[in-house]
Amino acid sequence: MKMPEPEVNVTALKSENEELRLRLQEAEDLISAVRTGAVDALAIQGADGPRIFTLEGADQGYRTLIEQMNEGAMLLSQEGVILYGNAALATLLRQGLEDIIGTTFAAFVPTDFQASWQAIVAKGWDAGKGKGELPLRTPAGQLLPLSLSANMLHFNGGLVLACILTDLSAQHEIKAIQALVAEQNAEISRQQQALKIQEAAQQRIEQAAAEVSRLLEGIPQIAWTANPQGVTTYFNRRWFDYIGQSGGQPEQVWWYNYQHPADRDAAAARWQQSLETNHVFEAEFRLRNHAGNYRWMLSRALPSYNERGELMQWIGTCTDIHEQKMTQVRIDQAQKQLQENNAQLQRANIDLDNFIYTASHDLKAPISNIEGLLHALLEELPSAGPNQPEQSVAVLLTMMQDSVDRFKRTLDHLTEVTKLQKEYAAPTAWLSLGTTIQDVCLDLAPLMQELGVQLEVAVADCPAVLFSEKNLRSVVYNLLSNAFKYRAPDRVPQVRIWCEATSEYLKLAVQDNGLGLNLATHQHKLFAMFERFHTHVEGSGIGLYMVKKIMENAGGRIEVQSEVGVGSTFSVYFRRWYT
Amino acid sequence: MEKLTCALLVDDDQTNNYLNKLLLSRLQVTDKLLVALNGQEALALVEEHCQEATPSCPALILLDVKMPVMNGFEFLEAYAELSLPQKHAIIIVMLTTSLHPQDMERVQKLHVDGFLSKPLTKAKVEGILETYFHRHLPKE
Repeated sequence: MKMPEPEVNVTALKSENEELRLRLQEAEDLISAVRTGAVDALAIQGADGPRIFTLEGADQGYRTLIEQMNEGAMLLSQEGVILYGNAALATLLRQGLEDIIGTTFAAFVPTDFQASWQAIVAKGWDAGKGKGELPLRTPAGQLLPLSLSANMLHFNGGLVLACILTDLSAQHEIKAIQALVAEQNAEISRQQQALKIQEAAQQRIEQAAAEVSRLLEGIPQIAWTANPQGVTTYFNRRWFDYIGQSGGQPEQVWWYNYQHPADRDAAAARWQQSLETNHVFEAEFRLRNHAGNYRWMLSRALPSYNERGELMQWIGTCTDIHEQKMTQVRIDQAQKQLQENNAQLQRANIDLDNFIYTASHDLKAPISNIEGLLHALLEELPSAGPNQPEQSVAVLLTMMQDSVDRFKRTLDHLTEVTKLQKEYAAPTAWLSLGTTIQDVCLDLAPLMQELGVQLEVAVADCPAVLFSEKNLRSVVYNLLSNAFKYRAPDRVPQVRIWCEATSEYLKLAVQDNGLGLNLATHQHKLFAMFERFHTHVEGSGIGLYMVKKIMENAGGRIEVQSEVGVGSTFSVYFRRWYT
Repeated sequence: MEKLTCALLVDDDQTNNYLNKLLLSRLQVTDKLLVALNGQEALALVEEHCQEATPSCPALILLDVKMPVMNGFEFLEAYAELSLPQKHAIIIVMLTTSLHPQDMERVQKLHVDGFLSKPLTKAKVEGILETYFHRHLPKE
């Protein structure tokens, strides 16, 4: 090596040094660029011209990463034009990359979200980072929720905005799933809660049922319980004793099996009715016992409620009412018999009435014929002379006429009776007793005078009676004339007529000091038809019968008090009516 | 007194007919006296004798109520259906024992000139003659 020549000047050296330093600088920059990925290819000047070296190894991983990732990625120019996009972006936007690159991204943002988009972009350019969520509209018109982040980058000597677009629809779905899960969890917990409550309730029911059973075992009747659906859940010991089983589970068809076929349907219908209405169950039916005999039972059941007013169960009993029922049946039969007898008696009564009417009617014709024939005979007989036989014939004829008259009178009385019986609905009026008594006394005046009767009338304070005028006259007439007729021959007849009012009846009493009657032997015949107790006085034997009939037909009655040798008191009771 | 040309007794009671016949003949009330034992016989007699004004068409019918075959009411009902030229001249008097209220109602709807209760007497015959025929029995 040659020693540096002194003639190489310092300036040249300095210049060469400077050039070397610049070249070193350039090389270092290149290395740095290669390291940072700022360049992806190098052009090396060779002997055959420049050779391009692509720096594959340097950023291959990143490129692949970007191309493969799920998020959309793009580079936007300052004008908002898409300079680069990855495959995911194309998928998001449902278009080919070739259609996307070079278009304005804002075209994909719906009008309502343009402002949001501009805000993100402005922030990206101003602060270097922008972030936000907004939807994109695909060419098909679907809206796609996105999360978008923008970063400002230096690229190829310019500035670009690198954007990552994350599809949020999946996240929305997850949220929806989460919400669903939460809801279901809540439902499950609610159900668990409900189950707990039910369990507690069930426990209470069972406790209550156990308590009820314990009580029901102690009672002397057959007892049972049923659930709200009507299925029998329990029988006490009496039941199994009755049907002759050692015990066991209640059968669902038990009623049907043990009830009398004639009673079971009615009982089942009643039970159904109670189940529907929650009203007390009550039915009577025959139940077959262990010996195969049916006995009448009264079954009753009441619904049992819990503190919340819910029907928990039915508690019922069967009480043996066989003896009562049999007694009742006998009573019913007796009553029916009685009613039949009554009806029969009524028919007999009507028949009797009709008989009396017909008899009195039909007897009139022959008796009037007899009378007519008697008169004809009288005409035929030679006029009565002084000779005896004709005289005796005349006596006989007179006696015959008397008999005919008596026969006719009896028929008239019978006719009166039948008229009375047909006069149930005789017209009534408000009548004064005083006036009626006065009228009757006028009719009886000759008899009173003849017998020297002392009559005391004390009816001034009596209220009026609502009665048939004819019948009232008849009653008063009969009572007074009887009092006069049956006088004691050894004393002056004293008759007193007075009244007494109660709220229900007006009593009119006729008291005499006459012969009197032995009621012990005669009372039952006193008011019967054609009964007579005295023969010395003319009488039809029909008066008291008529009075009794009249009073009873009008809802009243007649009573008698009497003592032989002292006198009698006949009292009639008029039913009081109020206007 | 001018006698009636004809009278008709309608009664199933033969004794009663006998007595009435006796009475009417004694009182010389009528020239001719017909007797029917029930309504049907009476109806036949009326139809037979009253088509024209003949002396044997009864001017007076004394009618009983209760009779077999056709009673007094049924006779009146059938009689009402007849069309006879002399109908207006025939007087019908019912003889009854006693009328049932129900019968009373029924008879009021039928044409009857009068009612008399049995038995028939001289006074009643006199009344009939005076009321319906303006005749008087001769004084005895």
